[in-house]
Amino acid sequence: MSDFSAQFKQALSLVQKPGRYTGGEPGCIFKDKSKVDIRFAFCFPDTYEIGMSFLGEKILYELLNQHENWWCERAFMPWVDMKAEMERLSIPLYCLESKDPLRDFDIIGFTLEYELCYTNILAMLELSGIPLRAADRGEDWPLIIAGGPCVCNAEPMADFFDVMQLGEGEQMLQDICAEVEKAKKTGLTRLELLQNLAQIPGVYVPAFYDVHYLPDGRIEAITPNRPGVPATVTKAIVKDLDAFAPPKSFVVPMVGAIHDRASVEVLRGCVRGCRFCQAGQLYRPFRERSPELISEAARALCHNTGYDELSLTSLSTSDHSQLESILDKLNAWATCDHVSLSLPSLRVDNFSESLLQKTTQVRKSGLTFAAEAGTQRLRDVINKNVSWEQIERTCTIAFREGYTAVKLYFMMGLPTETMEDIKGIADTAQQVVDLFYSNPDRPKGKGVQVTASVACFVPKPDTPFQFCPQDRREALKEKQRYLLSCVRSRKIRINYHDSATSVLEGVFAKGDRRLGNVIEKAYHNGAFFDTWEEFFNYDRWMEAFAACGIDPDFYNYREIALNEITPWSHLDVGVSHAHLVREYQKALKAEVSPPCNRQCSGCGANKLLGGPCFDYGKDLV
Amino acid sequence: MTTVRIWFEKRGEAAYISLLDLQRVMHRALKRSGLPVWYTLGFNPHIYLTFACPLSLGQESLCESCDVKTEAEPLDLSGWQDALSACLPRGLVVKRVAPVGDKAAAIAYSSYAVTMPATAAPLLEAYNAAESAPVTKKTKSGPKTLDLKAHLPKIEYRQEEDTLYLLLCLPAGDGLNLNPALLLEHLKTYGELPIWQCSILRTGLYKADKTEFC
Repeated sequence: MSDFSAQFKQALSLVQKPGRYTGGEPGCIFKDKSKVDIRFAFCFPDTYEIGMSFLGEKILYELLNQHENWWCERAFMPWVDMKAEMERLSIPLYCLESKDPLRDFDIIGFTLEYELCYTNILAMLELSGIPLRAADRGEDWPLIIAGGPCVCNAEPMADFFDVMQLGEGEQMLQDICAEVEKAKKTGLTRLELLQNLAQIPGVYVPAFYDVHYLPDGRIEAITPNRPGVPATVTKAIVKDLDAFAPPKSFVVPMVGAIHDRASVEVLRGCVRGCRFCQAGQLYRPFRERSPELISEAARALCHNTGYDELSLTSLSTSDHSQLESILDKLNAWATCDHVSLSLPSLRVDNFSESLLQKTTQVRKSGLTFAAEAGTQRLRDVINKNVSWEQIERTCTIAFREGYTAVKLYFMMGLPTETMEDIKGIADTAQQVVDLFYSNPDRPKGKGVQVTASVACFVPKPDTPFQFCPQDRREALKEKQRYLLSCVRSRKIRINYHDSATSVLEGVFAKGDRRLGNVIEKAYHNGAFFDTWEEFFNYDRWMEAFAACGIDPDFYNYREIALNEITPWSHLDVGVSHAHLVREYQKALKAEVSPPCNRQCSGCGANKLLGGPCFDYGKDLV
Repeated sequence: MTTVRIWFEKRGEAAYISLLDLQRVMHRALKRSGLPVWYTLGFNPHIYLTFACPLSLGQESLCESCDVKTEAEPLDLSGWQDALSACLPRGLVVKRVAPVGDKAAAIAYSSYAVTMPATAAPLLEAYNAAESAPVTKKTKSGPKTLDLKAHLPKIEYRQEEDTLYLLLCLPAGDGLNLNPALLLEHLKTYGELPIWQCSILRTGLYKADKTEFC
């Protein structure tokens, strides 16, 4: 292979699944680098298979590459074997399209999808030979930027990034690239560029803010340290989703990705207001795409990629006010195009018989319900507006349609939780089993399998539960043991995870800038791929905290006062503090709030739209 | 219904597409191309697709083939080559599309063009001088030892600058299939041979009578 260096070929010959490192997939974009002005490296700080499942990258890859003089390429975190070979053979981290090293790019963008991938970002910078800290990077280094949900509080990573993007990237990222192109052409200094970037809605330059601390470690104030920088950065959004058509082509991985199918985002935001859910707050306000655009884009996407499976994605697809119309439009061509539909994130409460039939026209898969809590009281606390009657009704329909596997999602460690609520998880699973056997229309000759997946709740910023301390590991372990003791049927399987990773997630989610030292320390002590249980080492992290003189419990096990200044108080995602306080106080009284398409709770996100989110005069859902 | 054989090259980056992945890639490319290929009947219809004598990961080929079926009549294959090539990733190039000739089971030999660094010349001489060359081949029923010399008594090679060029013909197909990588591994018993400095390119497939498989 003449176009591969000898070292690269050597590395490929020694690693598992070399196809993850070669690029050249159908749909990937090649440009003449001598003719482009801006080279953008889109980096996903996890493996190829996970990164290639991520819709955000596909959206932005297409948008950036539509500019003839910009070239957006991709890089992923190499798996441990490849990382070791690259270090041994001095192969710098490169982008899959051109195979050029990351340090040759103008902008390096990382997606911050979850807190535990922070060490991978440092590993990818180091593999590229790029100084980790923004302060150590002079004029000639690429601009290192971040985007994604964790930016709502990525303060623990503030020292490593030049720029962070709060909110939706469709417009913001193009504005950033245009500004960088202008700076290159007019010879601006890095500082001048950063000052210009700080004017773009949603752009946050961490170095332009000083954080002042109180003697007890809490934050006294966060203030801009130069004129012309907004005191608060407000999230950028796309007001009209139909103004940005979903991608009509994907880079189609050849090594199977986790989500290896065509997907179209049908709506953004969520009307539900579940109090534990960060995404439900971050992506407000609720916006829909039109059925025509969805169907048209989906058909083009399937045609351009060759995918035979199409999934409609969003936080809550069945909340689309015209879902049946979307399905009718899709079903009009899907079968003759040999495409099957799948609908993740269905809701228990508006799951109708005709909806079920429309989605099972081609393929039947398992049913998944997020009940989240085992008792009605706790479901009311978390504002998960699902009742046992709704689960019962939906399962009855589903069993009649031939489903025999039901997966239920729960959480433990929720605010106000008691052992009674834990027992409720087992009871709910048992009720589903009983429902199956009492249903005369159940599939004959088959048993039922109910799987209850129980995650550990992590309080997150910008949610009503941000004030709550996280449940301690010992308490969660005891709850897990108790839950297992409550299960009486072999038809029920309980899945749960060790809570050690949740502890770190909780600390970093609500952490501040002082944690940057801890992340760097842990990384230098060998931490990376922390999202992978086989590489996660809790003790190594605790040693890093101790070495930096930082008490992790301060961040996740402490109740935050309602008037405390949080590390993310200068980052405005649109939902007001007053709303979070109001919702938290209702939660403690187990009072529910209606979905926001029925009645506005006044969260404040409508200001981002410049008007009401819904036409409440119409009869919605 | 006609079975159609698609002949394609697999070179460059595409050498790293495994058989499992190649099936998916070809399936999607055929689907994108809109060519009138036959879908299996059943609840999840998919394109009927079989590959003859698949290649090892990392090796290149001039003569891979896969069979599809079609009900199109009259059968016009003229546009197939370009239509499919346009939908394949870099490195996979369709060379010819024709009604199927031989059954895949007829494949008995495959030829390979192998390159290695000039420093490997003494190793090849040692192989040629050796009485036997026992290699262990992984099979479904466990490891099996056989003598490479029985199938490859002498290796001819020529040198150009610092590279050696070898042409090998080895048993291939459903019966005995000898991967040229076995030879490279075996040469390492005579001395140092960095495998990544070698390349393997399949150049032809042949039947038992040594005529070309088509």
